[in-house]
Parts: sequence; structure tokens; C-alpha cells
Amino acid sequence: MRHPSFRLTPSRALGAVVLVLAVLALLVWVPNDTASGYVVSKRGRVSIGDAMAPALAFGLLALSGLLILWETRNFDAPGQSDRRGPALLAVMLGICAAALTVMIWAGPLAVALLNPDETYRNLRDAAPWKHIGFVVGGTGLVTGLITLVEHRYSWAALAIGLATVLVLIGAFDLAFDDLLLPPNGDQ
Amino acid sequence: MTDLLNYIGLGIMAVLNGPALFEIGGIGLPVALVMLAAGLFTGIAVGATPGLAGPMAMAISLPLLISAFGFTPDALLPVFAFLIGIMKGATLGGAVPAILFNLPGTPDAMMTTLDGHPMARNGQPRRALRIAQLSSVAGDSFSDIVLFVCAPFLAVVVESYLDLPEKTALLILSISFIAAVMGASVGKGLLSVGLGLIVAYIASGNDLTPRLTMGFDALDAGVPLIAAILGVLIVGEIFATLETLWRNNRALDVKTETHGTAQDGLAPGDLKRITPVVVRGALIGTVIGALPGVGSTLAATLSYSLGARRARRIAGAQPFGSGAPEGIAATEAANSAVSGANLIPVLSLGIPGNAAAVFLILAADSIGGFNPGPAVFAMPEGETNPQLVVAFGIFTLMAIGNLLNWTVGGAVMRSMSVLARVPATRLLPVVLLVSLTAIYVQETSMFAVWATLAFGVLGYGMRRLAVPVLPFVIAFILAGPLERSAREAFSATGADPWFLFSSPTSVILLLMAVAALIFLGRDG
Repeated sequence: MRHPSFRLTPSRALGAVVLVLAVLALLVWVPNDTASGYVVSKRGRVSIGDAMAPALAFGLLALSGLLILWETRNFDAPGQSDRRGPALLAVMLGICAAALTVMIWAGPLAVALLNPDETYRNLRDAAPWKHIGFVVGGTGLVTGLITLVEHRYSWAALAIGLATVLVLIGAFDLAFDDLLLPPNGDQ
Repeated sequence: MTDLLNYIGLGIMAVLNGPALFEIGGIGLPVALVMLAAGLFTGIAVGATPGLAGPMAMAISLPLLISAFGFTPDALLPVFAFLIGIMKGATLGGAVPAILFNLPGTPDAMMTTLDGHPMARNGQPRRALRIAQLSSVAGDSFSDIVLFVCAPFLAVVVESYLDLPEKTALLILSISFIAAVMGASVGKGLLSVGLGLIVAYIASGNDLTPRLTMGFDALDAGVPLIAAILGVLIVGEIFATLETLWRNNRALDVKTETHGTAQDGLAPGDLKRITPVVVRGALIGTVIGALPGVGSTLAATLSYSLGARRARRIAGAQPFGSGAPEGIAATEAANSAVSGANLIPVLSLGIPGNAAAVFLILAADSIGGFNPGPAVFAMPEGETNPQLVVAFGIFTLMAIGNLLNWTVGGAVMRSMSVLARVPATRLLPVVLLVSLTAIYVQETSMFAVWATLAFGVLGYGMRRLAVPVLPFVIAFILAGPLERSAREAFSATGADPWFLFSSPTSVILLLMAVAALIFLGRDG
């Protein structure tokens, strides 16, 4: 059985990963993704190049990785052993991604089905078309997350989601002529 | 001296003589004052709602405020008024659920539960709230006075005695200090700082080809400032809190109710009892608040511990933890005194020390015409410095905010107790949608929304691995000034690679940076 102090705890793994990634970035990313070097000489004038600051920042990152490993050399809390946290985060992100995708496509889809002579781009500033994506996607986002955290679906969650988007439409869209709700600025 | 008085007068007039938003009885109400009151009441409501915090409300309201007031210098005071109102109100409101429901509305109100809730359970919730209000506003007012005196003085000293190499060294010291004092360890503090610097350096260089974009066109303009800050600070917090609620079966929503008795209210002798504790708490909070990155929780803990130790030594004194008025006063005076003093490094040096200060800098950056730093307090001969007028306008707003807190703050606090019943499980998803919408409205790009979610994941991961998030945000903001100042210092010293060691002052500042990392850090 290994000595408990040598267990791979989250902090030790973090220190090791940070150290490796920082060294890789210093050797590969910074030199290949900056146009000038650490120091630039133009017409006899020497100045600091674009690579200097990122290189120092990655150097600091490597140092932080080493320090984390040093700080946890004798003892480190093992941390949470279950994987429910990352799994829940993945579900929350899934709900957000699905809701935003619906937000982007619900309006164009509604126009294509109900008003095929027009394009969504032409109607993106016309009610109700401009609100369809935001209402459906926004309500879905709030309702989905409440349902997830409360472990059950409720009509109250749906009502809260709907009320939130209606208040936001009132606050941003009706109160200001020049503001665009998502996703109408990208269309 | 006459110039200074003139500027103070101009600052006060900028607030009081601003355009009227509406009239009451034929008297026009200046827009900045109306926004200050609105921000203050919003802040008390936000502080009184568990799961919400002042920075969240500041983040959500900033795009709305900018949309309403535009990008002209005239927008500065109304926008600052609302944000300062939130900052002051949230500090006060955090005590409400802490006292009534044993549930701190804001993290710095945690210590208020120790004596505030027992006093409320003993049938004196109004007395506890009143003591909290008086102590909190006294601490806040004291630290504001220190701010008014110290910020201009510090700025003048910095501008007179520090050249470019020393200013670079000062920025390095600030970042090192924040990395050392925040979070579980120096290594994790430095990790947070390093990440903030790297994200800020994406596509922000001098070359025509943007650096560190990995070929992604979407990154050619750099990472949207608001997406990075709100993602790590707000969305990350929402994800982490939702997970905690999900794991603990809504433990944050468990509340213990209290009811008042006929003898409720400030008791005779209470003011005399709490005065020395408030003075001590205000001093502790102000000193700690003036240091960037050292939070109000430390000030409250220190003040409470000192008070408790003193109470144990005095025969017949009510022990802390049993509903002692001194316990509430020690905590509230100290945590509120942090907020004013935290603006000393912001206004005089442009270095934000806490999340609220980050949003004030973000507002100044978005609107333009006001760049927090030593230049704000410059008094050029023969011309008026508009930034100094705005600075004294801000001081005026803070003083009026304190006046409102002294007078109507208590009544507003009591009326907000109903908000503590709002379940966080339902509130946080709403806050998430509001934040994402506000970001979209400001950036008009779905990329900014996706980027915010990505930074939210980073913020969540940092919280779960005990990596502090505030150093990331502060380093992200200071990355530009740090690189700019280093470039200018390098050029100004004739490309001297040792420019940071060119003067005794910069060497001392660098030694202090190293000393901060060695001596102030907490091991593991």
C-alpha cells in the first residue's frame, strides 16, 4: 500500500497539469503564435516584443504549478471522491447549450414554417418574430435548471422562466429602441 | 488650497446641479441622486436575498445603465451613483437574513449570525437589526472619510515620486500581494493571477497579427472583457452554488424564523455599549480594506475575535455568541468599513481590490472619460481636470449614500426581510439568464455568451479546486497597464533590461512583492 502523502489528490494533479501545460505553452504556443519575439529592434530602436508578456505569464504559471506541488508535498486533503459534481456541471452546460441553440434557431424556424415569403433577417426587429427565440430558449434555460436542482418539474418553474423572459423583454426591448435581445444581433 | 476647494465645489455641484430626472412639488430631482437612492434600495434588497450579492447586481445592471445613459462623460456620475448605491446597500442588507434567519445574505455577514441570530431568537430582531444598521453605517462612513483624505494624497505621492519603472514595480507588488493573501495557498493565488494575465494577453499586443489566438478568427479582437469577468465571477458562482443546492438537497434554503416581542428595539445603553467596539471595528476594517485583495470576511473575523477576547476578560460582560450587541457591532462595523477603504487603491492607483471595485473600473472603462489612477487627482494650472470633478462627485455621492443609510436604511432593511424567503434554487437560474442577456445586449454577439459560459466553467473549476477567482479578475484588468508600463519603462531607460532595478524605490517594491509571497501566503 502506498504512503497516504503520495496519493494523487486534486491539488497535486492540478499542480502537475499546470506545470506541464505551462512548459508546453512556453516551448510551443508562445513562439509559434506571436509575430514578434521577446525583444524587437526597429530602425535602431529596441523595444519589448509581443512574446515577452505571455512568456512571463506562462513562466508565472509554471512557477505556480511547482509551488502547488511543493505546498502539497507532505499532506493534502483528498477532496471529493465522487464524480457527481462534474457530471452535474455537464448536465447544467447541456441545458444551457440546448437552450441557447433553441434561442438561435427557433425564430428562423418559425419564420420558415409560418411566413415562408420572408427571411428571419428581415423580421429580426419585428414582433412577435424577434421574441420567439428568446422566449422559448430563455424559458427553457430557467425551467430546465430549476427542474434539475429541485429534482422535479413544476409548473412554478415554467411560470418563473416565462415571467423572467417577459420582464427582460420589457426591460431591454421595449424600454430601449437600440438594444437587441439574443440572438437578433447575430442574424 | 483654493483650487482644491473649487474642485470640491464643482464635484458637489456636478451631483446636485445635474439634469433633473423628474420633479416633486416643482423641485427637480438630479438624476445622480435618484440613481443613488435606486441603487441603494436595490443593494439592500440584493444583500437581503441569500444567493445574491452586490457584484451580481452590479454586473447585471451595468449594461442597462450604459444603455440608458450612453457613452458620454455625462453618464459617469449617474452610472457610478447606482453602482455605489448597490455597493453600500448590499453591505447593509447582508445583515438582514443573517439576523432573522441565521443565513448570511452576503459572505461577509457570516459572523453577524453568531450574535445577531441569537438576539433575534431571544425575541429582539428589531434591536439586532438596528444595532447592525448603526454599526454598519458608522464603519462605512468612517472608511469613506479616510478614503476622501487618503486617495488624493496617495495619488499625488505616486505621481510625484514614482517614475515608469517604479509604477511597473508597484503593479507587480499589487498582483503579488493579491496572489499571496487570497485563497488557500500562494501557489493557487499565483495560478489564478497567471491565468488572468494569459487570457488578457490574447490578441492584445502591438503587432498587426494578433497573438495567442490559435488561428480562431473570433479571438482576433481578444476575449470580451465582460464575458471573462462575469463568467468567472458570476456564472462560475452560480454553477457552484447550484451544485451545492443540488447536493445538499436545498440546504441553503433552510431557515429558522424569529419573531419580535413587545420589548423589541434599541435598549437604553446600547449605543454606549457598542461605541468602542464600532470604533475598533471601523479602524480594523479600514486598514484591511485599504490593502487590495484582503476581503471583508477577514476584517469581520478579526474584529469579532478581538471583541470576544476582550469580553472574556471583563467581569460581567455578556459573552459573544449569546446575542451580545457588541458581537453584532464588531462584525458589521468592520465588514462595512472595508468597502470605502477598498476604493483607495482603485481611485489613487487604478488597482481594484475587490469585486465591487472591479465593476466600478469596468463602468469607467466602458463609458470612457474617467481613468482611475494618479492622473485623476492632478490639478493642472490654467485648466480644469474633469476627472477630478468626477472624483469629488463620487465622494459627494458616497457621503449622500451614507446619509440615506443613516436615515432610511433601517426602515428599508426591515422591509426587505421577506426577500430572505425567496428560494435560491429558483433565483439563481433567473440570475443566470439575466446575466447572459445583459452580456448579449452589451456585446451583441452570441460568441460573448458562449465565452461567458466557458469562463463560467473555469470559475466553477477554480472554486472546486480552491483556486481564488478574484486574483484572476484583478490580473485580467491589470495585465494591460502592466505590459504598457513595462514597455514604456523599457523604452524610456534606453532599452535597459534591468530597468526594474534602476532605482532604490523599485527595488524596495520588488522586494516587498517577494516578501508578500513568502511571508503572507498560507501553506496548503
